Amino acid sequence: MADYDAVVIGAGLGGISTASLLAKNGMKTLILEQSDIIGGCCSTFESQGYRFDVGASIVEILHPMEKFFQLMGKKREDYIELLPCDPIYSFITEDGRRFSYPTDIDETTRVIESIAPEDVEGWKRFCSLGLEMIDEMMDAMMTSPLNTVGEALAMVVKTPRVMRYLPLLARRHQSVVRSYYRNPVILSSVAFQSYFAGAPPELGSGIFGFIALSEHLGIYYPRGGMISIPEGMLRAGREHGLEVRTGCKVERIILDGRRARGVVLEDGTEITSEVVVSNVNAKVAYLKMVGPENLPPWALKAIDSYRLSMPCPMIYVGLDEKPDLEAHHTVVSGSIEVMNRVWNLYYTKGVIPRTAMSLICWPTEADPSLAPEGHHILNFLCNAPAPYAPLGDNWDRLKDWYKEEAVRELERFVMPGVRDHIDYLEVSTPLDFERRLLSPQGSIYGLFSDLTSLALFRPHARSRVIKGLYLAGSSTHLGGGVPTTIASGIITSGYILKDRG
Amino acid sequence: MERKLRRLLKAGALAGLVALYFSLDESTRRYLAHIGKQVPYLPYRYFI
Ligand SMILES: Cc1cc2nc3c(=O)[nH]c(=O)nc-3n(C[C@H](O)[C@H](O)[C@H](O)COP(=O)(O)OP(=O)(O)OC[C@H]3O[C@@H](n4cnc5c(N)ncnc54)[C@H](O)[C@@H]3O)c2cc1C
Repeated sequence: MADYDAVVIGAGLGGISTASLLAKNGMKTLILEQSDIIGGCCSTFESQGYRFDVGASIVEILHPMEKFFQLMGKKREDYIELLPCDPIYSFITEDGRRFSYPTDIDETTRVIESIAPEDVEGWKRFCSLGLEMIDEMMDAMMTSPLNTVGEALAMVVKTPRVMRYLPLLARRHQSVVRSYYRNPVILSSVAFQSYFAGAPPELGSGIFGFIALSEHLGIYYPRGGMISIPEGMLRAGREHGLEVRTGCKVERIILDGRRARGVVLEDGTEITSEVVVSNVNAKVAYLKMVGPENLPPWALKAIDSYRLSMPCPMIYVGLDEKPDLEAHHTVVSGSIEVMNRVWNLYYTKGVIPRTAMSLICWPTEADPSLAPEGHHILNFLCNAPAPYAPLGDNWDRLKDWYKEEAVRELERFVMPGVRDHIDYLEVSTPLDFERRLLSPQGSIYGLFSDLTSLALFRPHARSRVIKGLYLAGSSTHLGGGVPTTIASGIITSGYILKDRG
Repeated sequence: MERKLRRLLKAGALAGLVALYFSLDESTRRYLAHIGKQVPYLPYRYFI
């Protein structure tokens, strides 16, 4: 008799979502988390009276989260309080031009009209196709499995209109947005989101071009910091007997031939279970926890072939005054060409970019309780993405230089004189991310996401190599993101429950 | 004769493809090169 029905490795959103749904369906489930804090990339830590978010800074597309709570038989509002953030972001161009996009679509039309009247018609076409697609595809594409040809066909039969949107998947992010807009400023304000999916506009799938529209359905910040999302979900799971152990690193998956039978912890403790769910990077799960010696050559070739997603250093700033910002998010970005150059000339060559490309988040605008009275927090990604192994150097040595660069970037584009009000300054480099979350090379979205590593070609939620092994989180279908990884847990738990009859 | 013609056609098609590739803008070429490198792995990825 196994110790548990299911053991879940990692308390990221995908792990918590899967585990809670299994517990709700009567399975004795345990989550093992190596860190002392839950939530993985969607978490919050405390330092000198400030509560900083580790990575994720907002949630949009609430459908998977609402569906999770619905499947748990609970009300989301009883577990997570979401604060709407409007405007969505304030945009700053390389030459210092500033404007904000409000949530309201009509108001956004007026903003676009004031910058580029020639693009209003494109924006209306973008909204017309995009809103219809989001409405029709939410369930079909987000919370339904899409790992096999059979599942893809089932999706088409159930929602035939999906065929209309499939070409977007095969097109590139930049070609999709260019088919709607001409003005370079508007184009860059709808193209930088390709990096939210971890790829430059020339490589990312065109379907992500519509992130710039889905944001208009509302972006939210959870009261108490981003950790409130995994905490709320976990609380719902615990009410059904879900157990969690933090500070427990899983070393290996116990195998009986090609069947998973449990896990071995770092201290040698064995925990047996019928089902093992990995919420860690799929490369780590297969290459370290299962081990190459237990994989057939074709599977080894498959898992080896995936590229890791990009790393991004994150800067945590505490201020002793209110920053002069207009929105929860401030984006500094150059043109589409600059975004591609950051990837081709810097990131892939091991060079830290020196071009304007930052995302500044101001969480205390929504929730002042995150900082001491009168103080504020900025979490920001500076000149992102940056390579894991900077040429001829090492992130531990570059840390102080990078902090200085970040402050300079803030002063140059966003808040002149901010230096005098910095009360706390820390950076989490790709190496720090790797140490904190054991995410290989500090990758922030699991695996790279392009046409060849999405849906049918991303590691399957139900392993086809190791029986009893399931995967959830950013390495699986839909990739990185708060809503997508919650959705992955819905899909993965669905497989497990189906397999148990 | 027929074999020669077939070879000639093949060489022509290949030259056409190469010419087409070089007529594309640099960004599209980078994209195609990137996808081209990934395609051979798709059959393996599908089964993992
Ligand atoms: C800097 C940054 C900014 C982001 N911004 C946003 C945003 O604004 N909005 C958005 O929607 N998404 C954002 N994301 C993406 C989103 O946060 C992630 O995709 C999502 O939270 C990942 O969830 P996951 O289920 O894949 O698990 P992860 O968050 O990857 O968690 C995996 C967990 O497994 C644990 N673990 C690893 N190895 C072991 C082991 N051996 N034993 C036990 N436990 C282990 C880790 O400690 C971790 O807790 C951001 C991500 C980052 C990093």
